[in-house]
Formats: sequence, C-alpha cells, structure tokens
Amino acid sequence: MAIVAQSSKTGRVSRATLAWIIALLFFFPIFWMVLTSFKTDADAVKPEFLIWFTPTLENYVNMTENYDYWRFATNSVITSVFATLFALAVGIPCAYAMAFNPSRSTKDVLMWMLSTKMLPAAAVLYPMTFLTKSLGLFDTHFIIIVVLMLINLPIVVWMLFTYFKEIPKEIIEAGQMDGVSTWGEIREILIPLAWGGIASTALLCFIFCWNEAYWTVRLTTTDAATLSKLIEGNRAPEGLFFGRLSAVSAAAVGPIVVLGWFCQKQLVQGLTFGAVK
Amino acid sequence: MSDRRLPRLLQSPAVVLLLVWMLIPLGMTLYFSFIRYVLNNLRRPEWTTPSLSNWRGLGNYEFVWGNKDFLLAIQNSLLIVCSILFLTVILGILIAVLINKAFAGRGIVRVLLISPFFVMPAVNAVLWINMILDPVLGLQGLAVAGINELIDGLRTMPLLGGFFNLWPELTPISFRATQTSAYAVIIMVTWQWTPFAVLIFMTSLQSEDQQQKEAAILDGAGAWNQFRFLTLPHLARPIAIVVMIQAIFHLSLYAEIEIVSRGNGNKNLPYLIGEFANNNIGAASATGIYAVILANIVAIFLLRMIGKTLME
Repeated sequence: MAIVAQSSKTGRVSRATLAWIIALLFFFPIFWMVLTSFKTDADAVKPEFLIWFTPTLENYVNMTENYDYWRFATNSVITSVFATLFALAVGIPCAYAMAFNPSRSTKDVLMWMLSTKMLPAAAVLYPMTFLTKSLGLFDTHFIIIVVLMLINLPIVVWMLFTYFKEIPKEIIEAGQMDGVSTWGEIREILIPLAWGGIASTALLCFIFCWNEAYWTVRLTTTDAATLSKLIEGNRAPEGLFFGRLSAVSAAAVGPIVVLGWFCQKQLVQGLTFGAVK
Repeated sequence: MSDRRLPRLLQSPAVVLLLVWMLIPLGMTLYFSFIRYVLNNLRRPEWTTPSLSNWRGLGNYEFVWGNKDFLLAIQNSLLIVCSILFLTVILGILIAVLINKAFAGRGIVRVLLISPFFVMPAVNAVLWINMILDPVLGLQGLAVAGINELIDGLRTMPLLGGFFNLWPELTPISFRATQTSAYAVIIMVTWQWTPFAVLIFMTSLQSEDQQQKEAAILDGAGAWNQFRFLTLPHLARPIAIVVMIQAIFHLSLYAEIEIVSRGNGNKNLPYLIGEFANNNIGAASATGIYAVILANIVAIFLLRMIGKTLME
C-alpha cells in the first residue's frame, strides 16, 4: 500500500506540473501580446530585446493618435450594450411565456430559434448589404445593434428559458392569484428571482457581441466601425508596428477576457444549449 | 381566458423578429440565386437590376459548381474544419482528463486555459500571423534564427564540430503561402477552440459515476482501461456536441481567413461568397445556398440531439 501511495504522489506531482505547463503554453500568446505592448515598435522586432527591454507606456498613451482607439471602443461598447439590452427586453418576455405557459409548440419554436443561429451568415451577405444600403442604414449604430441582437437572440432566449424553468411554477401562480398583472409578475417576481441567470445571460451575450467579426466588418466603414473592424483593418503591419498593434489588441481583448473568467460555467450552458450539464 | 392568451403573446416579438431576420434575407438570396444579377456589366446593363426577366434557372448553381475556386473552397473548408475538429477533440479530452483531479492551483490553470476562447477572432489572427508565425520578425523567425546561430557556433567546437557540420541550416516556414496559410488558420483556431472543448469535457467529467470507477479500480482495472471503457463512453455525447457546434461555427469562419490569407488563393466558402459578391450576385447567392445546405447537414443532427434533452 505504501508503494502505491508513494507512486501516486509522484504521479500527482507530475500531473500537476504537466497541467501547469500546458496552461502556460495556452496562455503564452496572450502574455506575449501584452509583453510586446510595452515595447517600442523598434524594440519589438529585435531579438536582443526579446525578454529584457525597457518597458514603455508609449503605445498605450498614443493609442488614440495611432489608431483612434477610443472611437472604435466606444462603438463596440454602444453596439454591444444596446444589443444585449434589446435582446433581454425581447428575450425575457419570450422565455417567460415559454417557461410558465408552455404550449405544445414551445419545443418546436425553441428548436426553430436555434436553427436560425445555424445559418451561415455569409449566405445572406449580399441581401443584407443591399437592404442596409437601400434603407440608408449602412454603417450606422442602429443596424449593427439590430444585427447583433438578432444573432444572439436565440442563445439569450434559450439560456433564460433554462434558468426560468428552474423557478417553481407555484411562485408565479401565487402572484396570479393575488391579481398581479403579467407585466407585474415579470417585473416584481420573475426578474428578482432569476437575477443571477439574467446577469450571466447578459454577460455572455455582451461577450459574443463584442467579439463578433462578420457583420461588424462587412456592414461598417467608419461611423459605426467596432474594434473588430479596427484590428481587421490593420492586419498586416509588416513588423513595423508590433508594439502599437499589440497595445491596441490588448486593449481590445483585455476587458472581455477578464469578463470571460467570470462566466465559464454559463458559457457551457450557453454554447451547448443546455445539452451538456 | 385573456390572461392565458397574453403570456403566449409575449413570445411573438422574438418569434416575429427572428422570422423576419431569417425569411427576408434568405428569400432574397434564394431569388437572386435563380436570376442573372451582376453589379457591373457594360454590355448587358439589364443584368444589373434584379428582375424576373433575367431568370437563369439553375444556371448560377451550375456556374458555381463548375468554377474551380468553388471546389477549392469546399476542399479548403473541409480541410480546415476537419483538422480543427480532430485537434481540438483530442487535445480537449487529454487536457480535461489531466486537470479533472484536484491539484495545487487548479483554479488558476482553468482560468489560464480558458482565456484564449475570449480573444476576438480578429485579434487572434493578427496576433498569430504577425507576432508568432511570421518567418522573419515573429517568434518563429526569431527561434529559427537563434537555433541556426547556435548550431553555427557549435560547428567550431574541436571534436563535436564535425557532427554539427552535418546538420542542415533550418529555414523558417512562411505561413502566408496558399497552402501554409490554411495551416496557420488551423493553428490559431485550434488554439482558440481547444479551451472550449476542455471546458465542455470537464463539465461532463464532473458528472461521471465515481462509484463505477471505484468498483473498476477494485477489480484491478488499469488507468488505460478505466479511460477506455468508462470515461470515453461517458464522453461520447459531449464529443458529438463539441464536433457539431464547432463544425457549424467553423464552416462560417471568416475573420481569420480574411486576415491571414487575403488574396492568396486560400479560400473557404464564406470568403468565396464575399469575392463573388463584389460583382456576380447571382453566383454569390448560389454559393450561399450551397453553404446553407452544407451547414444544415450538420445542424439537423445537432438539433435532434439537443431536442432530446430539451424538456427533461
């Protein structure tokens, strides 16, 4: 027995070491980007300054000047926040109805909603460009908000539905007995009870909106262009601007990576539509 | 009566919005795919406005099918999607099993591991293709140059020098050529999506039957047999889900292709649609319909699987 325990101890240590090495390898590109962002553009491509270099904040200070970062970041924030709010505004009543007043078609409606998510966006590229241009909506915040909301609505409804289903029906029905209106039920009973679920749904929706890189690239030029568009537009710096490009990239993904750490669990539910628990 | 109808009505905004979102653009794509419709044509200006009189039937579909770029794009799409699926599933299982048991700092390891998944695709591509994979200025170039220099130095050694003289000079790989840029896309997307697979498999491993496992250990089952006959069957369903969800996402991969391989021939379906859409809308639409069909083949299986667990 003693031998077994001992060998399993070295086994444990080597497992832990291996796990750490793999985790560090996966994190390395992000670390490298952040590290490079503190180098000057000239230092960033010199092997002698690979690890030892004089750190500088120059790239972050000049982000506005070099890339007009804040304009793109503001657009990202505006479009992601409003898309998330609208998705919740439409999604909460919908999920409420599905969870507490299900009909025979509820399941089919949910599945159908998911199926819209599986359509390849590129298939409707031209019609969308055509429609937005002819309606004068091309490169406006409005169209980006609408599109981001629509592509995330199925996930939002789905996640809210799985959270709402956990709430005992009796609580909602008690409210109905007391003569509370439907709207009152949602506002006074449902939202306070499901607050945690709604918050994590919102967080995940926000992350997906922020990272979206098809419509935000194809339906904007300048006015409503988001960070995805900014980075895509500076795709080939040819080594001249590694430092400043790293800074703007780190500023674009930093907040989201941190947010992501807080919603790992919800991610599983949101992305597998509750099929893996 | 009315108080039961009202809640049902609350579904309608979401349903109507999604219906409009799906039917109108897709209907237009379907319509355009059956007519001749180009943005610029001086000889046949009548083709530049969509109209039923330019009906082409299945002509666009035949044109796209016979186009060599289309076959290339399909091949490339499949190569990219299949390679990513293979790598992420294998790596995902290995890593999930490795970190399933408690060890010092597991929480931090999880956080580090999941981080790549939240990096926006555009940043992912720019970061990898420039700072890591670039043959001269990226880490790859620096590493190759460093190794060459080291070997060069060793050649002057008195005794072993002759041995090192036999070593070839290493050359860095350029990831911007047609074929290698597909590999670059595979590398960067695998980096981004392996965390997703790990997360799903880990969630699923938490619910593995521990008693069964203990019984197996008592029966003298080795680690491999436990993995092969208990863990792997338990993971069958999550594996299927990871494969299908990723297939749907990666079939519409765009930002990475656009950034890594713009104009060098390494195309996938969404990229090809974008190219056609610069002028030949009919062909772009027909390609779009092909992409819808391809995605649907996967989606049907996925939806069936999700549907089964839906009302539990």
